[in-house]
Amino acid sequence: MDKPPFAKATGGEPQAPPQAPPAGQTPPAPQGGGRGGAPQAPPVDPKYNWPSTPRTVVGTRVKRLDGPDKVSGRAKYTFDVKRPGMVYGRAVRSPYPHARVVSIDFSAAERVPGFKTSLVIRDPKDPKTNVVMWQGDEVAAVAADTEEHAIDAARAVKVEYEVLPAVINVDSALAGRAPEGVFPNGNVRVGTAQDAGDLAAGFKAAAHTLEQTYATHVITHVCMESHGSVCEWEGDKLTAWVSTQGVNSARDNFASGLGIPQTNVRVICQYMGGGFGSKLQLGPEGLICARLAKQAGVPVKLMLDRKEEHLVTGNRPSAAAKVKAGVSADGIITAYDADSWGTGGAGGNAGVQLPYIYLIANRHRAHRDVYINTGQQRPMRAPGHPQASFITEIMMDELADLVNMDPVQFRLKNLPPEAPNAMWGSYLREGAAAFGWSKRHPTGDPTPGSVKTGMGVAICTWGGGGRGPSPAHCEIASDGSVTMRLGTQDIGTGQRTLVAIVTADALGLQPSQITPEIGDTQYGASANSGGSTTASSTSPGLRIAALKALEALKEKVAPALGVTADALVATGGRIQVKDTPSKSLSWADACKRIGPQSITAQADWQPGMTSLTTSGVQFAEAKVDIKTGIVKVTRVLAIQDCGLVLNKLTAESQAYGGVVAAINFALFEDRLLDRVTGQMVNPNMEWYLLAGMSDIPQIDVRLKNMPERGVVGIGEPPTVPTAAAIALAVRNAIGVSVRSLPLTPAKILESLQQKA
Amino acid sequence: MPRRKDEPGFTRRSFLKTVGAGGVAAGVLAKTPVKAQGGVNAVGPGAVPILLNVNGQPLRLEVEPRVTLLDALRTRADLTGSKRGCDRGACGACTMIVDGRTVYSCSTLAIEVQGKKIRTVDGLASPNGRLHPVQQAFCDKDALMCGFCTPGFVMASVGLLEEHPNPTPEQIKKGLDGNICRCGTFSRVFEAVSSVKGVRRG
Repeated sequence: MDKPPFAKATGGEPQAPPQAPPAGQTPPAPQGGGRGGAPQAPPVDPKYNWPSTPRTVVGTRVKRLDGPDKVSGRAKYTFDVKRPGMVYGRAVRSPYPHARVVSIDFSAAERVPGFKTSLVIRDPKDPKTNVVMWQGDEVAAVAADTEEHAIDAARAVKVEYEVLPAVINVDSALAGRAPEGVFPNGNVRVGTAQDAGDLAAGFKAAAHTLEQTYATHVITHVCMESHGSVCEWEGDKLTAWVSTQGVNSARDNFASGLGIPQTNVRVICQYMGGGFGSKLQLGPEGLICARLAKQAGVPVKLMLDRKEEHLVTGNRPSAAAKVKAGVSADGIITAYDADSWGTGGAGGNAGVQLPYIYLIANRHRAHRDVYINTGQQRPMRAPGHPQASFITEIMMDELADLVNMDPVQFRLKNLPPEAPNAMWGSYLREGAAAFGWSKRHPTGDPTPGSVKTGMGVAICTWGGGGRGPSPAHCEIASDGSVTMRLGTQDIGTGQRTLVAIVTADALGLQPSQITPEIGDTQYGASANSGGSTTASSTSPGLRIAALKALEALKEKVAPALGVTADALVATGGRIQVKDTPSKSLSWADACKRIGPQSITAQADWQPGMTSLTTSGVQFAEAKVDIKTGIVKVTRVLAIQDCGLVLNKLTAESQAYGGVVAAINFALFEDRLLDRVTGQMVNPNMEWYLLAGMSDIPQIDVRLKNMPERGVVGIGEPPTVPTAAAIALAVRNAIGVSVRSLPLTPAKILESLQQKA
Repeated sequence: MPRRKDEPGFTRRSFLKTVGAGGVAAGVLAKTPVKAQGGVNAVGPGAVPILLNVNGQPLRLEVEPRVTLLDALRTRADLTGSKRGCDRGACGACTMIVDGRTVYSCSTLAIEVQGKKIRTVDGLASPNGRLHPVQQAFCDKDALMCGFCTPGFVMASVGLLEEHPNPTPEQIKKGLDGNICRCGTFSRVFEAVSSVKGVRRG
């Protein structure tokens, strides 16, 4: 392993503030993970585009095809893969956040029963690579016959460290009180300032100004299935089962990391237990596994444990902003001046988009990334957006109170104009009526007793557009079987089922009649499942490939029905003459005319069948016990669009899941570092708190179907506004703003005390 | 006793503290018991033969005394339906039913459940493939996403319904509070479990 300590360091350039376009104009470039890329291919032929007629499959509630495999334990995840002769790998990791590796002694490890092989990752003699930059940084690795023996062997590796000063605390680093020389270009990286309008004039026009600091914390992904792989070599060819959000990018990472041709690597991922952005790239543990397997001469499985997951597989960066804002007497935000910062660990950026969504003509924004000695950030479900939402929305209610305006009315006054990708105004009005917003009391529940109730609202946006290449390969055989292959993967969203839905819809069949083959680099290129782009990237190619295969089938069938191919339609499991159901063949009979050579067709993503950017609004109701500080979320209403809904059932599940993830972000999870040692004090699942069934409120999802927009992703937007809406419900309940997350009982009580 | 999910109980840590006394491992089909310091029989640290009853079938394995029930079944018997999420009895992905009670199999030693009836998700469906009503309800209500926590939720739900065939909402919540789903399927798991009828009291 020659991974330099800063291999993945990237700048902390704050991203441009998202501003929805005026009505009727082209949607903006996708934000955050919604990478789109300029479409190079010609727009889609209208005959392949999504039909405007009601569909029998697309947009209905289709159960997951792989549900039975998952509920019965038959689904084989990477964690479950067992290969003949397989042994187990384990990394030796630094307990220190910053240290130089002085020596590594494997002699005791080699005496552990079942020991197979060892690997030096931080060569003590190489000054370029012998420094570890965070707790958990890889130092060495071993493999042994059982997992228990691998753990024994890893423990027996004797590593001598020279402990170096570490940067642990963000505030100290910002104040210049942290050790210098830890990071080559300093502990703080200053981003480019962004300006618009005339800030001074904006503040002059304000009737009220507000100055506050808002902050969000670092959380980790906590995928239920840890990161890891099983690697098996045959000569110089590698087959790897990887828990990944991108089989193709994992293949490329193996090839570049090991110095072998991409064509020598096959990556398989049939089922994976959650990624949330942390499995977009192959982590160092993947390359370690491959190297151990090469040395051991047998397949190696290396899955991380829960502590390693917290330490080295990414996190959501913190974000904080000292904000000064001005508002006119009639409720228009006239000026916004934000000085933001955050940490994405050692060399990781912490970009956040401020202000979030609302139009503010006069603004200034500066940003600093603070480097500390922890594992680097990785994208986590809507990178930057939940933080931006919290920092912006708490301010919105504080400004609304300054001008005595209802928070919904105040938001309506400051929104970008309504457009298909900017529907917040309509959703705010609809949601307010549905949620009973008119019953909301002003800030501070006047009800006697210790349990106070409040309501809050927040809004979101996300890119979610599609892109190629994502070629889909459709095969129709003479026995009527249909297989659709492509190199995408199902990370739990229901992508496998979606492949069947789009194909079946185009062929007039049911999803159960389609065999989707995905999760394998043998099926060709396709994008990572990230940025809520998988449905939009894959569905155009799927539909067009299926329709092209159908055209070929119609040609074969037309003579039997005495018409030309263009007179035929596929519907209800039959190929029939348009408007003449009596002249038809069953699918099976039609396919008998295919002959020994299956029909095959291929098609890629096309522009015109997908769109960019979604809008959503969420309302939350919470109860707060002011004696204990305990917050209980009681209701959440999520209104969310995602263009053309492909599977109503699983799209709703994405919204439910996004809301739950944000309840965790708002109330429970928190990566806690020891202020002296820099070590994480809760790298587990009992002190790293996550919601259980009793913490879940009533969640109502209103999914907006916008078929005319084509497909847009939904994985990320529903997790953006919930935390802010909950924090505002708490504020409305207790009459005090809590300006940082998580909303722990201690913090609530402290805020109440400060008010008193 | 295996560690019941709803009460503090036996842990691997306390096992390691007491293994020298040998009492816990008394049921092991020991090769040659070793005289421990206290003069009582002990086993390990090497592998010892054990006999388990898993999903109605006898299962003979050789495991070190420290090996958990979860790892014994997953890595030695290829019964991989049960998952390991936290390995510390916090997430519930490893939930099995032992003598009618749900347990965290990651925090239960294989050698301590000899002679007990162990049920895992792998054996829940009928031999002809027909899903258990709980499994079917999870599929119908989309009570799963990535599916990694699902076997644990399914077994916890079966355990709950065998104890309370017509559970109240509060019983469902309490019965499933020992399981974590990171994809956030709770609302639909609740819906699924609420919809299940006709599970026989265990």
